[in-house]
Amino acid sequence: MNENISSILKAVSKPGRYSGGEYGQIIKDKEKVKARFAFCFPDTYEIGMSNLGVRILYGVLNNEDDVWCERVYTPWVDMQEEMKKHGIPLTACESGDPLTAFDMIGFTLQYEMSYTNVLNMLDLAGLPLRSCDRDDSMPIIIGGGPCAYNPEPVADFFDLFNIGEGEEMLPELCRLYIKMKEEGSYTKEAYLHEAARSIEGIYVPSFYEVSYNEDGTIKAYTPKYDDIPTSIKKRIMTDMDKSYFPDKVVMPYIETVHDRIMLEVFRGCIRGCRFCQAGIIYRPVREKSPEVLNSQARCLFESTGYDEISLTSLSISDYTQLEELTDMLLEWTDENMVSLSLPSLRVDSFTKELMDKIASVRSSSLTFAPEAGSQRLRDVINKNVTEEDLLRAVNVAFEAGKNMVKLYFMQGLPTETYEDIEGIAILASHVIDAYYKCPTRNKAKKPQVTISVACFIPKPFTPFQWEAQDTLEMLAEKQEFLGSKITDRKIKFNHHDAKVSRIEAVLARGDRRLSDALELACREGFKFDAWDEYFDYDKWISVLERTGADPAFYANRAFGLDEVLPWDIIDCGVTKEFLRRERDKAYAENTTPNCREKCSGCGANRLGGERTCCPKLSKTEN
Amino acid sequence: MLSEVKQNGKLNEKRRVLALPELTPPRTVRLKFCKVGTLQYISHLDLQRTFNRIINRACLPVWYTKGFNPHIKLVFSTPLSVGAQSVCEYLDIRIDREMSCEEIKDRLNAEMTSEFYITEAYLPSSDFSEIAWASYDISITTGGASAELAAKAEKLLTTSPLMMIKKGKAGEKEVDIVKMIHSLTATFDESTGNVNIKATVRASSTEYLNPEFLITALKSNLSILGGDPKKEYYSIMRTVTLKEDMTEFR
Repeated sequence: MNENISSILKAVSKPGRYSGGEYGQIIKDKEKVKARFAFCFPDTYEIGMSNLGVRILYGVLNNEDDVWCERVYTPWVDMQEEMKKHGIPLTACESGDPLTAFDMIGFTLQYEMSYTNVLNMLDLAGLPLRSCDRDDSMPIIIGGGPCAYNPEPVADFFDLFNIGEGEEMLPELCRLYIKMKEEGSYTKEAYLHEAARSIEGIYVPSFYEVSYNEDGTIKAYTPKYDDIPTSIKKRIMTDMDKSYFPDKVVMPYIETVHDRIMLEVFRGCIRGCRFCQAGIIYRPVREKSPEVLNSQARCLFESTGYDEISLTSLSISDYTQLEELTDMLLEWTDENMVSLSLPSLRVDSFTKELMDKIASVRSSSLTFAPEAGSQRLRDVINKNVTEEDLLRAVNVAFEAGKNMVKLYFMQGLPTETYEDIEGIAILASHVIDAYYKCPTRNKAKKPQVTISVACFIPKPFTPFQWEAQDTLEMLAEKQEFLGSKITDRKIKFNHHDAKVSRIEAVLARGDRRLSDALELACREGFKFDAWDEYFDYDKWISVLERTGADPAFYANRAFGLDEVLPWDIIDCGVTKEFLRRERDKAYAENTTPNCREKCSGCGANRLGGERTCCPKLSKTEN
Repeated sequence: MLSEVKQNGKLNEKRRVLALPELTPPRTVRLKFCKVGTLQYISHLDLQRTFNRIINRACLPVWYTKGFNPHIKLVFSTPLSVGAQSVCEYLDIRIDREMSCEEIKDRLNAEMTSEFYITEAYLPSSDFSEIAWASYDISITTGGASAELAAKAEKLLTTSPLMMIKKGKAGEKEVDIVKMIHSLTATFDESTGNVNIKATVRASSTEYLNPEFLITALKSNLSILGGDPKKEYYSIMRTVTLKEDMTEFR
């Protein structure tokens, strides 16, 4: 099936994205394997190769002797043009075979704006977009990842979704497929039914009929069979020390976004910021022990030769044994010229001791995320950091000779006032003042504070899932207001494009009726909508309108507290009652202690888990 | 579960290597390597990063630059453009512990692939600046390939002047590429139906002819390689680099 496409590769940008042949790629005899799995990341090679989840699941699937998992990424626009022009279908990196040659195709759904790339890839593969148009001879299309917690906008395109962590689910799906093929009992319908019935965490959207109320809200989800779950509970790996860990990875030749060892320290987050979806859907917190992590890091250094280890987890400084871990790592990383880096730091945990151990903070710039400009609003979102914490953290940095600080904020948060927004400018100026007050600062340099302001997007499974997003006009007005409050040239102000955030909100809280809009978007050539240069707001509004979808219904409407939400069919472990309580506390400007201080009874502990901070007793009712 | 994480003992190996007798000053070792197949699409910059990792995996006792940001010192010979393969690339590394060239080669090859591997490791007695010429084998699969086409190609590429625009740091300038060609023959291979070109062209740091230029000249003057790209294509293989006196560079 491998055609000579060298002429095309020589004509496109970054051909190393498509040529394969990397050290560490897994090649199997396709005559001997019983199931071929194409793992698709719906974005460029450089982004997809950086994803830890893909690295893990590629290893998990290839651990099955009779399964061959290969990688597929979205070809860049210039390559797509060549493919279309010369009738070249989308192929997998390892074998170069077209996607139609596979038994199963999995897509990881990491962000809503990649949905158009999913459809674009199915189209490039020559496969019908909708599940109902694909017959028994075609590959089973599987979705997973964080966006699968509300899969409804793309429900009609997928045959099934994995809800939760895939390390066990994906091999189980392959085993079932192989078994039914060998028995001769395989039909697409029978396979999907058996998967929905017997494998926990599997959601087959076509098996649930959705009815609607007159006002357009959802009335009910009705299962088509009585032996499939009425609510799909997410799967988790209970013991992270025993969970599969990829001891080698495919080494990209071309530079990727995260071109380093990614050491997953724990899953989940103890914090519970009220806008944050990741902080809820990955609960409960499950840590790995420092001995296991050290051993895994050594193993990866030996098999990859990377000279940087990034400790990746949400809010990494919340790891209970961070000091033990970094000490163990430093015992061998220094002599091997391997540096450590941390992706994000909370201001309340940033210390000089930590900074000295971490290479990423050796650069002149540090990043913190206060998220809101006033203490009132930080309480509303349950950020649980104070201005004092921030000033103490930047002081540590300034004392060490740094002069640049990046601060992340959000605008359009529930209950936000102009006073809160002005607070962003004031906070930034206080950071500048702190620089000049620091006696050991680098006197040769001027301070620089960059503030990046994102737009609030209400996300499923957060306490703010019911909230209305500010209208475009409101967001623009607030951006302009903040700009006018920043007069100091030492403060740089960036803000996200509110138009992208609005479409993201539509897709995040969307339901099945959006599939028509997404199909039309694909037909009209939408792709790479997560890339500023390809996102076109007016075209999005046009496809939504032409398919009868009102963007304001999804983005700017306050969802009713008693309303059936599109994602109510999914059970992420955390209860709706908890989210509701958190919402009430937000409006009362009350904070919630983190999981380690006190259990607030979110419900995630019923999923189990080792080395968690959840009490063993179920406390789901308050 | 700890036992299931497979350590392959490289860290211990690295410690053993670092305990070997120290070399002062560090010793330069030259590596000759192949970069063929899919590796032709990997740029020079990407190659540098890749070698860093290979050297780490191979536990070589490489010397690190001193200073704020210590790094491995890698010096490559004439860069190869993306889309060209080679069996004669050179890289100088420095080691500061005793290790034989043969062992360095074997250790590196254990971490490389069938498209990208070391063919020789030795102590160099020449400088990369001595490279003056490079020879290429170019194979062209195109509609209308024939002995006549081969003759036309040879005539075109050996008849001065053949002016082409060359982009350099100082902007664009027009050059006669024939003056940068030492020798060139084009033949038609009946068994494959390809036109094969053997060319030796300038490859010094001050005067360098990208072999792609030969293809570009053929495309625009003989109207070849313009059809279905799945059926018409070409490959470029650098076979040898030469000194000014036309002896092989080592």
